[in-house]
Amino acid sequence: MLVEFEQIQKAQAGDDAAFNQVVTAYRKRILGTIARLIGRPEDVEDVGQEVFLRLYYSLDQLRTPEVFEPWLYRLTVNASYDYLRKQRRRNESRMSDLSEQQVMMADAVAGGKVSGEEQRQKQVKELVDSLLGAVSEQDRILLTLKEVEGLSIKELEKIYSVNENALKVRLFRARQRVLNAFEASQGNTVRPAERKD
Amino acid sequence: MDQWNTKLDQLFAKYKDAVPDPDPSVNFMPGLWRKIEARQSFTTRIKKLTQVFVVATAAVCLLLGMAVVVPGSLHPELRGTYVDVLAEDHPPDNLAALGIRVEPVEANTK
Repeated sequence: MLVEFEQIQKAQAGDDAAFNQVVTAYRKRILGTIARLIGRPEDVEDVGQEVFLRLYYSLDQLRTPEVFEPWLYRLTVNASYDYLRKQRRRNESRMSDLSEQQVMMADAVAGGKVSGEEQRQKQVKELVDSLLGAVSEQDRILLTLKEVEGLSIKELEKIYSVNENALKVRLFRARQRVLNAFEASQGNTVRPAERKD
Repeated sequence: MDQWNTKLDQLFAKYKDAVPDPDPSVNFMPGLWRKIEARQSFTTRIKKLTQVFVVATAAVCLLLGMAVVVPGSLHPELRGTYVDVLAEDHPPDNLAALGIRVEPVEANTK
């Protein structure tokens, strides 16, 4: 826990200063998770604010401060899922849409300002984003929480409120799909791990 | 297959490094509080509108109830049926002048 239980209880009681402290303690971690879940840096803060907005209005429903973190992750998962679903609808109508980050990166590449390391990170990011595109938004989030964020099955159980077996089956299927996409992509391109500048 | 699994694990680890936790901008907290207050004022407005609607509905119900309980208090002309009103407007004398004979109603007794 990044804050004391007492702080959460104060925030539940309507103490805005305590709520501010809770947000300040968790925002960087939550923004990082959102960044990896949605893959669009320019929208991370908006989704992050939505998470804490939902937290503010539902904090009184939290029964025990002990389950605060899984509960905050559940809000993060829901807000990210809502964002990805909206994004998919938008992408269906505007296929040529490039994120601000992608445009900046393209400009920087054109100007020769991007370092070798940045270039490699960009390739990894694009590859993982495209691989996660092989599964549904829900599976993308589940897989990212497990494989990238490093959450345990027990923690995922608390977040999703489903049993361990159901989670394992879902994770296995999602991972298999991503693995197949990974193998297929490596058959066509140079592997990022082996790429040298 | 194990080889691909290992490579995928490595790729996920690299992904975490490639997308580090971003630092929140200076506008993060002010923006959040703006959104909280905007929703609060919207909720308050909806609550007020609901209260006004409930009070107005209660007042209308009360008025209609009074109109029913105290017949004729608001509209005395509405007392009685349509036939009663016609009979009042056309007394038997006037009808006789028009050639209409009005016979007295016999009591139905045995």
